[in-house]
Amino acid sequence: MTDIAITINGTAWEGTVEPRLSLADLIRGELTLTGTHLGCEHGVCGACNVEVDGVPMRSCLMPAAAADGCAITTIEGQYGEMAERLRAAFTTHHALQCGFCTSGMMATALDILRRGLGRDEATIRRELAGNICRCTGYQGIVAAILHVAQETTP
Amino acid sequence: MDSHHDSNLSNSSQVGQPFTRLEDRRHLAGQGGFVADLRLPGIRDVAFLRSSMAHARLGPIAVPADAPAGAVWTAEAFHGLVKPIRAVLDRPAYRPSDQPVMAEGTVRHVGEIVAAVLADNRALAEDLAERLEPAYDPLPAITDPEQALLPESAPLHPGWADNVYMTMGRTTGDFDAMVARADVHVTRHLRMERVAAMPLETRGCVARFDRGSGVLTLWIATQRPHLIRTMLAEQLTGIEERDIRVIAPDVGGGFGGKSNLYPEEILLAAMAMRLPHPVRWIEDRWEHMVSASHSRQHVQTITAHATKEGELLAVDVRFLVDGGAYAMRTSTPAVEANMASSVLPGPYKFQAYRFEATTVATNKTPVGPFRGVGRPAAVFAMERIMEETAAAIGMDPVEFRLRNMIQPEEHPFTTISGLVYDSGDYPSLLTKAAQSIRAPGKGDAPANIAIGIGFGCYTEQTAHGAQEWHRRGSPFVYGFEAARVRIDPSGGVLVSTGIQSHGQGLETSLAQIAGDVLGVSYDRVRVVHGDTELCPYGMGTVASRSLVMAGGAVEGACQRLAAKIRRIAAHNLDCAADDVLLAGGEAQGPGGSIPLDAVARIAYLELQKLPLDVEPALDILYCYRPPVETGAYSSGVHAAKVAVDLDSGHVKILDFVVAEDCGRVINPLIVDGQIAGGVAQGIGQALLEEFQYDDQGQPTKVTLADYLVPGAPELVNVRIIHQETLSPFTVHGAKGLGEGGAIGPPAAVANAVSDALRQFGVDVRRVPIRPEDLWEALRP
Ligand code: FES
Ligand code: FES
Repeated sequence: MTDIAITINGTAWEGTVEPRLSLADLIRGELTLTGTHLGCEHGVCGACNVEVDGVPMRSCLMPAAAADGCAITTIEGQYGEMAERLRAAFTTHHALQCGFCTSGMMATALDILRRGLGRDEATIRRELAGNICRCTGYQGIVAAILHVAQETTP
Repeated sequence: MDSHHDSNLSNSSQVGQPFTRLEDRRHLAGQGGFVADLRLPGIRDVAFLRSSMAHARLGPIAVPADAPAGAVWTAEAFHGLVKPIRAVLDRPAYRPSDQPVMAEGTVRHVGEIVAAVLADNRALAEDLAERLEPAYDPLPAITDPEQALLPESAPLHPGWADNVYMTMGRTTGDFDAMVARADVHVTRHLRMERVAAMPLETRGCVARFDRGSGVLTLWIATQRPHLIRTMLAEQLTGIEERDIRVIAPDVGGGFGGKSNLYPEEILLAAMAMRLPHPVRWIEDRWEHMVSASHSRQHVQTITAHATKEGELLAVDVRFLVDGGAYAMRTSTPAVEANMASSVLPGPYKFQAYRFEATTVATNKTPVGPFRGVGRPAAVFAMERIMEETAAAIGMDPVEFRLRNMIQPEEHPFTTISGLVYDSGDYPSLLTKAAQSIRAPGKGDAPANIAIGIGFGCYTEQTAHGAQEWHRRGSPFVYGFEAARVRIDPSGGVLVSTGIQSHGQGLETSLAQIAGDVLGVSYDRVRVVHGDTELCPYGMGTVASRSLVMAGGAVEGACQRLAAKIRRIAAHNLDCAADDVLLAGGEAQGPGGSIPLDAVARIAYLELQKLPLDVEPALDILYCYRPPVETGAYSSGVHAAKVAVDLDSGHVKILDFVVAEDCGRVINPLIVDGQIAGGVAQGIGQALLEEFQYDDQGQPTKVTLADYLVPGAPELVNVRIIHQETLSPFTVHGAKGLGEGGAIGPPAAVANAVSDALRQFGVDVRRVPIRPEDLWEALRP
C-alpha cells in the first residue's frame, strides 16, 4: 500500500492506495467522480482522459500511486472560460450523442485549444486520434473545437 | 444557444427545428448516470471465467482450497433457477439452438461463460477467477461458414444433422426466360467480414433483490428494458414479471449490440435473488470482444443478367452467413441472411429474382443485430454488381442505375421480393449525389495515386408494424409504442415512453413533438424512458422505429390531453372548446387566455372550476399502432470519392456525400448526427473493422488496438443533402433513419476503390478493404 497526496479538482486529498489501483479506479471509486469513463482500460479509447498537471493523461493506465503530488482535473472540475465555451460549442454543434466519450473528449479538446492547435480541421483531426467516439463520426466535435478556437483568437 | 423560443411559439414551430439537445447538459457536466456509475450500499462484484477454448468438452472446474465459501458459482449452482435461452423464429426452415446461460458439458466459443466469481470488488473477483482450473478436452473447431457446410464438419448442437440454422430460397418471375434474354451475365464472389456494434460503453448489469417487497431490480445497459423484463420472467424461476423492474439508465451507445437478452443478465438476476446484497458486473473490453454479439460475416455470390442497352432483367444471389455458436434471443442469427435476401432489390426493379439464404453455426461468438442488419451486406452485393454490370455494358454507372430505378410515381410499389414501399424519389437522390460528388475538385492526382468515385443506393424499411414482424416469424411482434403524458399541477409536462434513448436524442425530439401540440417550449417537457416501473410498456429502440412509433404515441397522447385542456379552458373562458388555441404556454380563447399552469391547477386542485363531465387530472396513456404496418421506407444514396495509394494499397476517403430522404425531419441537428455517426461505422466496416480467428477458433483481435474503429483522422466531414418525401403512413410523415448511415458506405467505398483501380483490372471483392490485399492485387 502506498500513501499519496493529490489535488483533485482543486481540493486536497490524501489516502492509501494499492499499488495496482489505477488513477481511473481511484477517481471513479473512492472519489466518486463518475464523470470519467472507462471504454477499454488498455489505453486506446481516451474515454478516461483527465488532466494531470495540465496535461491530458489516460487515467486507466496511470497508477494512482504515480499521481502522488499531482493536480488532477476531471470533467466535474472543468470550470474555466475555455471549458464553458467548449461546453456551449459541444451542444451547438451536436458533438455528443450517448455522452460516454464526452469527458475524455473535453479533456483532449481543451488541450488542443490551449496549445493553439484548434484552427484547422486537419490538425484537430490528427490531435483527436487518441480519442474514440463511436456515435458521432467526430464531425460535431471537430466543428466545436474549431468554433471555440475562432471565438477565442483575436 | 439557440434553444429558447419561449414566448412566441405557434403551433408546429418546433418540429423541424435544429434545437440543441436536452440531454447534453448532464453529460457535459460529467453527471450522466451509466450503469457503472451506480453506487449501492453493500454491492459486490462479479467476474466471469470464460472459455479459453473454441470447442471443447468441459470437465470439472477445480476451485482453490482457499476460495471463500459462496464465491464460485458454476452451472450446477443455477440448476432449477434459470432456463437455457431459446431464440425462436416461427419459420419451418429455422432450427433453434439452446444457448446455455452458463456452459455445462461443452463449450462452443471462446468467451462462453464457464463460472461466476463473487468478491468485494472486481479486482478480487478476477484474482480468484484466474485461479480456477476448468478441465477442457478439445474438440475440432469450425471457424468458417463454408467449412461449416462440409460433410466432415460434425454438428455442433445435439440433435442436429448438420450445422445449418436456417436455409431458404425462392425464385420469383420467369427467371430462365430473363437469363435467356440477357446479353450480359456478370458474377462476383464477395465477402463481408465479421464486425460488431462496439459501443464505447461496454455492457453491464447491476441486480438487487428487495426481500421486503419481493422486487428484483436490474439496471442494465440495454436498448429494450421492457422486453428484457418479459424475457427474464420466462428465464428465471421463482419470480413473476410483475415483481421485476428493469432500468436502462444512460446507455453509452448500443447500435443493436445491446438489444439481445444476454446470459449475464439472467445470471446476475438469479444471483441477486439468493444473496443479501446487490451484485454488479461491468464488462471489460476483452469480454465485450468475445461475448457481446457480433454481426454480418457474409459469403456472397451474385449474378446480374442485363441487356446491352442497360436493362437489368434478373438477379441471382446466394447469401451464406456465419451465425456463430448460438442463436441469440430474440433476433436469431438468421435475421442477417433473411433480411439481406428480402431487401436486396433496393431501389431497383427487375423481372426475375432468385435467392438462397443460409445461416450456419460455427465456434465463434454468436451473431446478433448491428445497425443496418442485413442491409449493408445486401447493398454491398447489389451495388457492387450494378457497378460491374455497368462496366461490362460500357455504360456510366449512374446512368445504368437511373435506368433501372423505381420512379416516384410508382409508389406504393411492391418489390420483386414482396416489400411494399410507401414513397420516395430515388432517381432524384442519385442525381443530386452524383452532381455533388462529381463537381470538379482539385487538379490531377500524383502519379502513384488513383482517384475513384463510387455509389451505394438503398432503401431502408423503418417503423414497420405487427403485420411485417409476424410475416418474418418474429415471436414478439413490434406492433406499437405507448406514451404517457402528464401535466403536473404546476404546469410541467412529463412524457414517459417505452422506447429507450442511448444517444439518439429522443428526450429532445419527443419533447419537440409534445411541445408543439401542447403549446409549450420543448425545454419545459421532461421525457422519461428506460424504466419499466415508470414507463408504459414498449418495444425499445431497435429497427429504426423509435422516432416514428414513439413520436406517433406522444403526438396521440398530447392531442387527447390538448382536447381536455381546451374543454377546461373553454369552461373557464366562457367560449367553445374548438375556439381555444394552445400556444405560448397558454390556452387562448377569443376573449382572453389562461396559462397552462392555471388549467393544470384546476384539473388537480381547484375542481370547483372543472366541468363536471371532465375527468380530473391531466394524465393520458395512448398507444400508437401504425394504420399501415408494412413500414415507412427511408432511402439514400451514398457517394464516396477515394484516393488509392498505388505503392502501399492504402485508401483515403477524400469526400463523402449522403443524399437522403427520411421524410419529415423532426430535428435536423439530430438527423445529421445520426447520419454522420452511421457513416463513420460504415466506413469502419469498409476499410478497417473485422474480427479474425485462427484455425483453432481463437479470436486474434480482442483489443481496440487490433479491432480498429475509425478515428477522427480517417474520416471526413460528411456532406448531407436532404430531400423530404413524406410518408403517407406515419403521423408526421417521418420515416426512421437510425440505421441508414451505416448501410451505404461499404458499397460506396468498395465501388469507389474499384472505379479507381479499374484501369489495372482490379475490383473489390471483400470488405474491409485491406491495404495488403490491394498491394498484392496491384503487384506487376
Ligand atoms: S479507458 Fe483509458 S484509454 Fe480507454
Ligand atoms: S457520443 Fe457516444 S461515444 Fe461519443
